[in-house]
Amino acid sequence: MKARTRAATILLTPFFLLFTAVMVVPIGYAVWLSLFTEKQSGLGFGGTETVFTGLDNYTAALGDRAFREGFGVLLGYCLLYIPLLLAGALGLALLLDSALARARRFFQLALFLPHAVPGIIAALIWVYLYTPQLSPVVQAMEAGGIGFDFFSPEGALPSVVNIALWEWLGYNMVIFYAALQAIDRSVLEAATVDGAGAWRIAFSVKVPLVKASLAMVALFTIIGSLQLFTEPLILNKGTGSAVTSTWTPNMYAYTAAFDRNDYGLAAAASVLLALTAALLSFAVTRMTGRRKAGTARTPAPARKPAPARKERTA
Amino acid sequence: MTRSWSRTSRVIAGTATALAVLTACGGSGDDTANSTANKPNGPVTITFWGWAKGSKDVVDAFNASHTDIQVKFEEIPSGTAGGYAKISNAVKAGNAPDLVSIEYSSLPEFVSSGALQDIGGQFTEADRAKLLPQTVELTTLGGKSWAVPFDAAPQAFFYRKDLFAKYKVQVPTTWDAFKQAAEQVKKADAKARIATFFPDDPTTFEAMAWQAGAQWFKAENDTWKIDTTDAATTKVAGYWQGLLDAGLVHKNASFSPEWTGSLKNGTTIGYLGASWGAGVLKGTLPEQDGKWGVAPMPTWDGKPASGMLGGTSFAVTKDSKQQAAAVTFAEWMSTTEAGVKARIASGTSSAFPAATALRPVAKKAFDASYYGGQDIYALFEAAGASISPNWAWGPTTGTTNTTIKDHFGKITQGGPGIADAVKAGHDATVAELTKRGLKVEG
Repeated sequence: MKARTRAATILLTPFFLLFTAVMVVPIGYAVWLSLFTEKQSGLGFGGTETVFTGLDNYTAALGDRAFREGFGVLLGYCLLYIPLLLAGALGLALLLDSALARARRFFQLALFLPHAVPGIIAALIWVYLYTPQLSPVVQAMEAGGIGFDFFSPEGALPSVVNIALWEWLGYNMVIFYAALQAIDRSVLEAATVDGAGAWRIAFSVKVPLVKASLAMVALFTIIGSLQLFTEPLILNKGTGSAVTSTWTPNMYAYTAAFDRNDYGLAAAASVLLALTAALLSFAVTRMTGRRKAGTARTPAPARKPAPARKERTA
Repeated sequence: MTRSWSRTSRVIAGTATALAVLTACGGSGDDTANSTANKPNGPVTITFWGWAKGSKDVVDAFNASHTDIQVKFEEIPSGTAGGYAKISNAVKAGNAPDLVSIEYSSLPEFVSSGALQDIGGQFTEADRAKLLPQTVELTTLGGKSWAVPFDAAPQAFFYRKDLFAKYKVQVPTTWDAFKQAAEQVKKADAKARIATFFPDDPTTFEAMAWQAGAQWFKAENDTWKIDTTDAATTKVAGYWQGLLDAGLVHKNASFSPEWTGSLKNGTTIGYLGASWGAGVLKGTLPEQDGKWGVAPMPTWDGKPASGMLGGTSFAVTKDSKQQAAAVTFAEWMSTTEAGVKARIASGTSSAFPAATALRPVAKKAFDASYYGGQDIYALFEAAGASISPNWAWGPTTGTTNTTIKDHFGKITQGGPGIADAVKAGHDATVAELTKRGLKVEG
């Protein structure tokens, strides 16, 4: 027992050291920063004085319409992006799962490839494809009678969602595909023997069996969406598009720190965003955890990767 | 033996560094002590961050001709493209370079955040007298001198001579004539436009307001007076809104591939820029050699008037221990013949020096054959003299310009317009100044 404790301590120490260094300390520092504001006097040319202002930065962030609108944008983004992502990735995975063995490997790789492109490069490529007069896509659309301005206020959200889909569809497809592959083939055979067609098998057998992966992908995507930053930032810089510098809460914090030199406000906005993410993670984990406890016989922690679990039960 | 030697040398080096640091901290007024302490240690090395065209050439020329000071140049993205964020972060982190490039519009913001040091002791009255007064004014804040002005950036209108002739359009001298010319261009070629509205760049719009006589930031009795609803700004905003609504100008981001592409294929045949734009066009569109001309900015009443669009100064960061060397180098770039020549002769820069006496040098060094041999420096000279001296920048340019840029991006037909963007910028500026604890009216 003692040896086991020692082993656990030794094995866990690196984790906790790193966790403290790269998570706890920076968050603590952000909270500390968020309690101060740099005040000036006269015309402001006499240098700054750092003053403790309590929760003023938090009220300032929450009172700023631009910050609140950022959360609205995130909500709209999730509502548009997540259904498309889940449906698209699952659809492709189902197709692959029923395709020929050789075609499978090719499509798996081809669909996964965009994910290997760094987000910033993807965004730059898409900005080019969105730019009227330069983009063959826009020109083709115009020739076909569809005029769509990707940089307009209405176009901003679909533009970003499209980039995100391009990047993440293949990745999530691979997760679903792995889960589908892990389904016990005898179950599928039984369904076939019972007279179920391909569609019936897909929607009544396969999809319910990969529900856990669906929930996991949805959870990670929601949390990931809160961090939305790179793609809209590229759309903001150098395009004159309707994506503002405070479009998402993350961008708000970035702009506050680096355009406005207001580190206190930036820290407060970041802490608020982190709190939102924590609350959301907690709520979603609880929800999915409880549902599983009710339906499945073996309640598994929601964080465990779904494909692995499937393999074990199979 | 070698060991003890290296230890001794280390002690000597350490002491020397400590001494240099101590004397440098002793204050800028104590020049003699500073230089005597620095000189025996061999050359002083300073680091310089900038993005202006020709900077590398200037640094090379300086290093070749100086033994006491050596400059390490690092190119950074232009200010609003991330350069300023880089500078402020470096200052916060305590590893900033000694000398940085800052445009006049952003200088007050850096001064107010305490990122720079007062260089009045090194950059004396006599040095300042060599420079265009408007630029000295823009670098003197709160009675202290914060930066060495490099160029004045009077506005100018660049246009395609060949296409203006082909479309039989007169080069406009007033804004009314400019609108007519814009209509003629559009009529002659449905795809072509006379110029571009830059939704990503509020400074171009601000220069127009400046030219019209606006005064957005006024400092009076320790109070900032913010005024963007004056007659001049309203007039300029209305005018550009009219051009946009009538589709008489393109709406593209500045220096974007889209903008460059339209210049290349001749669907944009003019550029409302500033003196430095001559070098930019030349560098961007080498194949259009000889096709461009430069004209003074159109004005409201036909009399010469100009705002300033951009314009760089050199400032010493807060923690630099090498103020003397940094200012020496900055002054060399701004006020010596060799410095100005090295930059312009690089072929990429058409900077209009703030140093009045050096304009003939710049003119001689700039190869104007791209503009058909036109005397563009004479034109800049006249425009520079007409820069309205009333404009000042406030300490919240970052907030003001980011907000206006955000709202420029939202401009749509029938939706929010330029005036709404200016209003939003105004409100954000007032809120920001208030948050910092400064007195504001407006």
